[in-house]
Amino acid sequence: MTSLIAFCLVGAMLSAYTLLDGYDLGAAAITPMLAKTRAERSAIVESIGPFWSGNEVWLVAAGGTLFALFPQAYAVSFSGFYLPFIVVLWLLMFRGIAIELRAHLPGDMWMDFWDVAFSLSSVLLILLFGVALGNLVRGLPLDPDGYFSGRFSSLLNPYASAVGVLAVVALAQHGLAYVGNSVAGALGERALRYNGRVWWFVLVAYLGVSAATIATHRGALASAPLAIVASALALAALVALRRFAAHSHAALTFRASTVFLAGLLVAAAATMYPYLIRPYPGSPGGLSIFAASPPSVTLALSVVVAAVGLVAVIAYSVFVRRRMSAKVVVHEETTA
Amino acid sequence: MFHYLFPIGTMGIAPFIAWYNYRELKTGEQRYGQAARFWTKIFAVNFAVGVVTGIPMEFQFGTNWAAFSAKTGSVIGQPLMIEGVYAFFLESVFLGVLLYGRGRVSPGLYVTSAVAVWLGSWLSGYFIVDTDAWMQHPVGYVIGPHGRIELQSLATVLLSPFAGWQYAHVMAGAVETGGFIVAGVGAYYLLAKRDIEFGREFVRAGVIVALIASVLVIFPTGDRNGADITAYQPVKLAAMEGLFATRRGAPLAIIGMPNVAGHTLIDPIFVPDLLSFLAYGNARANVDGLTAYATELWPPVELTYYAYHVMVGLGTIFIAVAGVAALLLWRRRLFVTPLGLWALLLAMPFPYIANEAGWIVAEVGRQPWIVYGLMKTQSAASPNVVSGETIFTLIGFVGMYFLLGVLFLLLTLREIAIGPAGEPATAR
Repeated sequence: MTSLIAFCLVGAMLSAYTLLDGYDLGAAAITPMLAKTRAERSAIVESIGPFWSGNEVWLVAAGGTLFALFPQAYAVSFSGFYLPFIVVLWLLMFRGIAIELRAHLPGDMWMDFWDVAFSLSSVLLILLFGVALGNLVRGLPLDPDGYFSGRFSSLLNPYASAVGVLAVVALAQHGLAYVGNSVAGALGERALRYNGRVWWFVLVAYLGVSAATIATHRGALASAPLAIVASALALAALVALRRFAAHSHAALTFRASTVFLAGLLVAAAATMYPYLIRPYPGSPGGLSIFAASPPSVTLALSVVVAAVGLVAVIAYSVFVRRRMSAKVVVHEETTA
Repeated sequence: MFHYLFPIGTMGIAPFIAWYNYRELKTGEQRYGQAARFWTKIFAVNFAVGVVTGIPMEFQFGTNWAAFSAKTGSVIGQPLMIEGVYAFFLESVFLGVLLYGRGRVSPGLYVTSAVAVWLGSWLSGYFIVDTDAWMQHPVGYVIGPHGRIELQSLATVLLSPFAGWQYAHVMAGAVETGGFIVAGVGAYYLLAKRDIEFGREFVRAGVIVALIASVLVIFPTGDRNGADITAYQPVKLAAMEGLFATRRGAPLAIIGMPNVAGHTLIDPIFVPDLLSFLAYGNARANVDGLTAYATELWPPVELTYYAYHVMVGLGTIFIAVAGVAALLLWRRRLFVTPLGLWALLLAMPFPYIANEAGWIVAEVGRQPWIVYGLMKTQSAASPNVVSGETIFTLIGFVGMYFLLGVLFLLLTLREIAIGPAGEPATAR
């Protein structure tokens, strides 16, 4: 029971990361297509500037929580995927430098360079995260100790690649919805219009990945009704999103996008359960949440400590967001 | 190592930002607001580089030290998890307000945010030191099945007896660094005859903070941290002091070069009995030398010894510099004494060296253990990561860190060149 709660806690933190950093990653990824001028790019950056590092902390804190609650899984997965993880770290570093330092030197070339770096590293991060999630849902070839035993090239299998594509289009949609809700004027309206276009890509990717998941995990899905319910909810949110965007309901569009992503994440977690690292169907091994966690008394205390802290975090994050919710305006002629 | 340069900066500067924001709120004087904005910009560059260099560290436990993480994770993961949940969020969320919220939120909330960032950075420091303290002196664990080290008492780990004084010592070092940075920048403005009013304010505040902190670094925090090392890690103490033979009334080596093969110090200057007195409060006390322990339990003696002596030597010089500067300040002579200002300006890099030397003493001096007495460093690495991958990524990190170092210096120097009065209105 405690293990299940711990699994839900880590899952909830990673989902919070996806929903929150998802909008700033998505906004960064879509910037080259969305922003027409340097001032518009600056406005997008200004809309995510106060929040991105707080959003990224969800990933760091989820990593720390995984370490504390499931040290085996933490050690096995991070060293098993050494090179991909290091690439993710480099991209995260590069992205952080880009957004923080773009405005620190005057000069258009300086800013253009970092903006391209920012968008590119964001797209690659989304793709890598999507491929990683795809592989976790699909299952991995593992040796008896739980270490990854396949080839890295096998990680780019069709299923995981499809999830990677879904991640890119879904977070692009999420980023557009965020910009639509946070930036005033023509840029915000354009973002909502673009939502209508990217919607078709999201729908196709969603249907494709859903069909592939059903084909791979027919047995597992039958015992996980939550996965079915959650992906149905995601589909409903996706349908609603199109209507909200068409009627320029910016806040509702963003909420619909959030529900859509949350539905997908719950479905993914329900498909993985009870594994933290699922073996490929038919192959042995795998780390289940019950084998991977420390004794339940200490685990329960850690879960309580983390949960209490997170309630406080959510409270002051919401408070700060309310106070900082004024829409960003595009300043032509000035560099924000 | 490289990463730690930046948290020293953020932890040392954060209190000044909170202070100047508070002064602005109380007095309504614009110059305090400008001072706060100026240090916030310096802080932001420090923070950005600190975060991007710090993220890999959180994950390298898993990627590079898998055996260590798998064996000790249920203990050592706790302070790291709590750091993430209780400290990182506080610092990051409210830094967003500090950087973008001027004018968007009320002045009261703005000052609160500055205090929250300060609190977050200092809490984060505590949990990192606590993690290290556990590796120095493991407590609150039981050995479980498969030889795994399992958490027994979270409270004992979080309130590790080794952590208290070590934390106080580390924080005093960070504040001392902050004081010298603020004073050094102020001295630069006075010498360059620009932003005179800010220059005076920074020199005044910086010198006072640096003096108080530099005394605290040595006494009581350094002294008590040393007593913990004496009690829990006598081998490290012997290596720090270059003491080879066990003896009563052990002398303190002020200088001298250790000759490890010959078990002697070359060209030493000793103060008789002082080491016994410092370690045990008794000039005749018995102090174990390195030869009391098997050679394979020795840390790298030369590195530990030199790092320790660099740290203590610099710490003593800092007290002298800050003391003389404070005396001149009190006699109202400092602002017109170029020599004193130059000393403050040139002193700026040295607290960083002293801080890093301190970490070398703590970490290298702990070798060959990764967890003192429980686990050797050589058995801690990831079993399945081949050395070619490690070398490849190491080169990548070195390149990236070099780039970051250059950018950091460039941008910090630029902010100092613009100065607190320049570029009004925009917070960034």
